[in-house]
Amino acid sequence: MTKGQQYLAGFKEGLAVLFGFIPVGIAYAIVARQAGLTPIETVLMSATGFAGASQMMVAGMYAQGASVAAAIVATFILNLRHLIMSTCVFDRMKNAPLKLKLVAAFGITDESFAMFTTQGEKHSNVYFFLGLITATYSSWVVGTVIGVVASAFLPDMLSASMGIALYAMFLALLTPGVKQNLRLVILVALTAVLNALLSKIIAPSWSLIISTIACAMLGTFFVDLDGKEGESNAA
Amino acid sequence: MRLEVFLLIMGMALVTYIPRMLPAVFLHKLKFGPRFEKFLKLIPYTAMSALVFPGIFTVDPANWYIGVVGGVAAVLLAWNKLPLALTVLGSVLAVFLTYLIV
Repeated sequence: MTKGQQYLAGFKEGLAVLFGFIPVGIAYAIVARQAGLTPIETVLMSATGFAGASQMMVAGMYAQGASVAAAIVATFILNLRHLIMSTCVFDRMKNAPLKLKLVAAFGITDESFAMFTTQGEKHSNVYFFLGLITATYSSWVVGTVIGVVASAFLPDMLSASMGIALYAMFLALLTPGVKQNLRLVILVALTAVLNALLSKIIAPSWSLIISTIACAMLGTFFVDLDGKEGESNAA
Repeated sequence: MRLEVFLLIMGMALVTYIPRMLPAVFLHKLKFGPRFEKFLKLIPYTAMSALVFPGIFTVDPANWYIGVVGGVAAVLLAWNKLPLALTVLGSVLAVFLTYLIV
């Protein structure tokens, strides 16, 4: 595949996120507008930050009169998980030019990470990823604009139903990988239970990071992935 | 635009970009052993699991089964190799129908 074909393939794959980002964009737009942000400020935050959960949190904190510094620190903590996700993404495109990687870095989100790291070897390159994030980024900005414009008009039942979309996407990406690997199913279940328990005790953003790392470490001892991982285990 | 909001938005953009960018700059300089490579390959599974659970049960805070219906629909459709976008759409549809019926 040429670079252009990779980019297009990534773009197509990324479009799946549109259904997910519209409801999140609407939810964010409602919070941001209630917090007193203007429509332009609401959209600008999406266009420069590209981080739905943090944007929602920052808008909420702004509404409660938190300082700019406190909101920025909270964002940093909430986004630390991207450090892990970014490591996985760039591990798959080590030889790409730095300039392109710096652009790609802007597009690392839970969604693009999940879609990229579940691709096969064929799509493990920076061009596919750039196509992917072009689609996810546009979807996010469009989703926010729709949220600003249409939050008042969309029927409640429809926007409530669309709330499942991002969860559905993560589950859909998980399924093929775990389908024929019972130990991987056990690992996924373990992570779910640990995160459910931990998030009752500590902040969900930390719980997510800790359960992700701890369970992946645990998994290296008992999960066999297909292909060369299995061989290196035997050796 | 108010200065305070502008600073907030720019500061947010910066601290969001930093953790995303660091591995892009430094990763190729490091050489990982097979166990660490395996750890990195397992991260997508554990991360996605933590992104879904327990949040999916409170997608509708008043009705836990909404998340279950949508989740089961997504897994079944993906199991049968439907493309990603259609799987997501199918799950949304399943939840929509549940709201209509219940």
